[in-house]
Amino acid sequence: MIPKKVIETKKLSRVFKNGEIEVNALTNVNISIEEGEFVAIMGASGSGKSTLLNILGCLDKPTSGEYYLDGIHVNNLNKNELAAVRNQKIGFIFQNYNLLSRTSAIENVELPLVYNRTGKFTNSKQLAKKALEQVGLKNRIYHKTNELSGGEQQRVAIARALVNDPALILSDEATGNLDSKTSIDVADLFVRLNNKGKTILMITHEPDIAQFAKRIIYLRDGSVLTDEFIKNRSTKESALKELELTT
Amino acid sequence: MQQFFKTFKVAFQAINKNRSRSLLTVLGIIIGVAAVIMTISAGEGATLEVQKQISGLGTNLLMIYTKTEHRAGAHVRMGKPINKKDFDMLQNNSVWISKLSPLIVDVAQAIGPNGYKSIAIYGVSDQYFDILSRDLASGEFFKEEEVKTAGKVCVIGKTLKDELFSDLDPIGRKIRIDKIPFTVVGLLKEEGKGAMGQDQDDIILAPYTTIQNRLHGHRRGYDIIMASAINENHIIDAEIEATELMRESHKILEGEEDDFEITTQIELQEITGNVTGILTILLGAIASISLIVGGIGIMNIMLVSVTERTREIGTRLAIGARESDILTQFLIEAIVLSLAGGVLGVVLGIAGNQIIYKITNFLIPTAPYSILIGFGFAALVGIAFGYFPASKAAKLNPIDALRYE
Repeated sequence: MIPKKVIETKKLSRVFKNGEIEVNALTNVNISIEEGEFVAIMGASGSGKSTLLNILGCLDKPTSGEYYLDGIHVNNLNKNELAAVRNQKIGFIFQNYNLLSRTSAIENVELPLVYNRTGKFTNSKQLAKKALEQVGLKNRIYHKTNELSGGEQQRVAIARALVNDPALILSDEATGNLDSKTSIDVADLFVRLNNKGKTILMITHEPDIAQFAKRIIYLRDGSVLTDEFIKNRSTKESALKELELTT
Repeated sequence: MQQFFKTFKVAFQAINKNRSRSLLTVLGIIIGVAAVIMTISAGEGATLEVQKQISGLGTNLLMIYTKTEHRAGAHVRMGKPINKKDFDMLQNNSVWISKLSPLIVDVAQAIGPNGYKSIAIYGVSDQYFDILSRDLASGEFFKEEEVKTAGKVCVIGKTLKDELFSDLDPIGRKIRIDKIPFTVVGLLKEEGKGAMGQDQDDIILAPYTTIQNRLHGHRRGYDIIMASAINENHIIDAEIEATELMRESHKILEGEEDDFEITTQIELQEITGNVTGILTILLGAIASISLIVGGIGIMNIMLVSVTERTREIGTRLAIGARESDILTQFLIEAIVLSLAGGVLGVVLGIAGNQIIYKITNFLIPTAPYSILIGFGFAALVGIAFGYFPASKAAKLNPIDALRYE
């Protein structure tokens, strides 16, 4: 069986116009990610990482080029259809968690189901609980977000990204606000989710976190510089050992 | 529809999470609605009170008097004085008028056993009491016989009785009005303040013949002829008939203007109704301004809320909320806030009316339509002033919103 393509872009370009000046944020990006992959996208600031993530996350549209997400041709969708795609196909994880403040973990995790109009998820409480269990927060279900540590908050966010069983988990610098050890925990969580079959795409500028992925794509000046599979992936143990050595 | 309920829940959670802020926001609306209800009700209460007083004058009242004009700051009589000829003309020929009484007003010094007072004396016939439907507390009215013979009798009001007699029973006792002794035959039942604020119990009623012939020499004319129509349905008929008879009596040719005026109960009620109606509208309008201020308060807080929750909005959009979901959510928040303010405002308004009643004894019946106006206005304010912040929230670009610091 040919593995299903979750992401496929053809000559993806994005041009920002600022008055007379045109900035080519992305130029002819061709990326193809199959189901079950774990890909890290790296690159310096201004390399086009965020622009690519916005387009892949259906928050922005390319100036030219094609984008297929889980077989759907995203280019032609209107705003509401894009919202539905974001809701059903993508699980977002952000650097600053973006949880609702003064709200319990479970209510936060339920949030994507609130906007799900397919009527598939009638037992949203149960699904949210299950997602929280998956990220190891079984004992924190009814804690308010401000009562949780940074790592725990990010895990709530990951549970939120998992709850509607999306085709793609999209992580934007998920470890950017976390300390090294917690970062390793989160990266390890990604690995375990990937082992269960989740397709994960994460943007990061931390090489040691990117090393947990199966494949790294380097961007430079809006184009793909390198795209290769990692031979010796980090594990939680190896990364922790490394951490001990450096400190 | 199901989505609407979900959004409703989300909006409710948001309000609940900012309880103290929500309450402060609502305060403006509460005060606005309460103010609208209380002012409109006060206006209505005043109108009712005035109407009651006017109908207390007698139900089918007509007043016929000489036309006056305002000239150089004084009322100047423009036509022939009204006199016995006119009275007889009405008395003998009218079909629609059942009772008639001249009214002569004079001012004199009244001296009683325990005090004295300068007071208005009304010279009237025995029918006057029926026309104005006044009742007696004790004694009796003077009779037709006493009117014919210019008897020195009088009926007095409670206020005057208190000043002239203190606790003494006035019936059968004498008071001196400009040195002439009058026997008090009746004491009027207390009536209270009249429509224009005058004390209706500070009064002496005596036969008009007595006033004309014994007091202040001879007076020929009457100030007013008071009349009552045979019943309420024929006031207009009575007015038309009285006009014709008066024109005949005054020998006014066809095409010439009346030199007298006739005012009916209906007109009195209309005039005062207009005045108090304008008052009510004015007060209501002033109160509405406070509601608008309350609405601006809601808009202000909602705008702050949108800014403060930019990232939340970005997150909601990113995980699949439609623009319309966000718009609905914030609109519901604004409307729920203003409706809650409306409900509390209605409660406060009704309570306020009761408190005013307890303190001042001025009964303000809460006008049901004032509740509708206050509440409806609150809802309108919520939608109108909630829409701008809500659409601002919905139009946020999720990419920018997510990174908003």
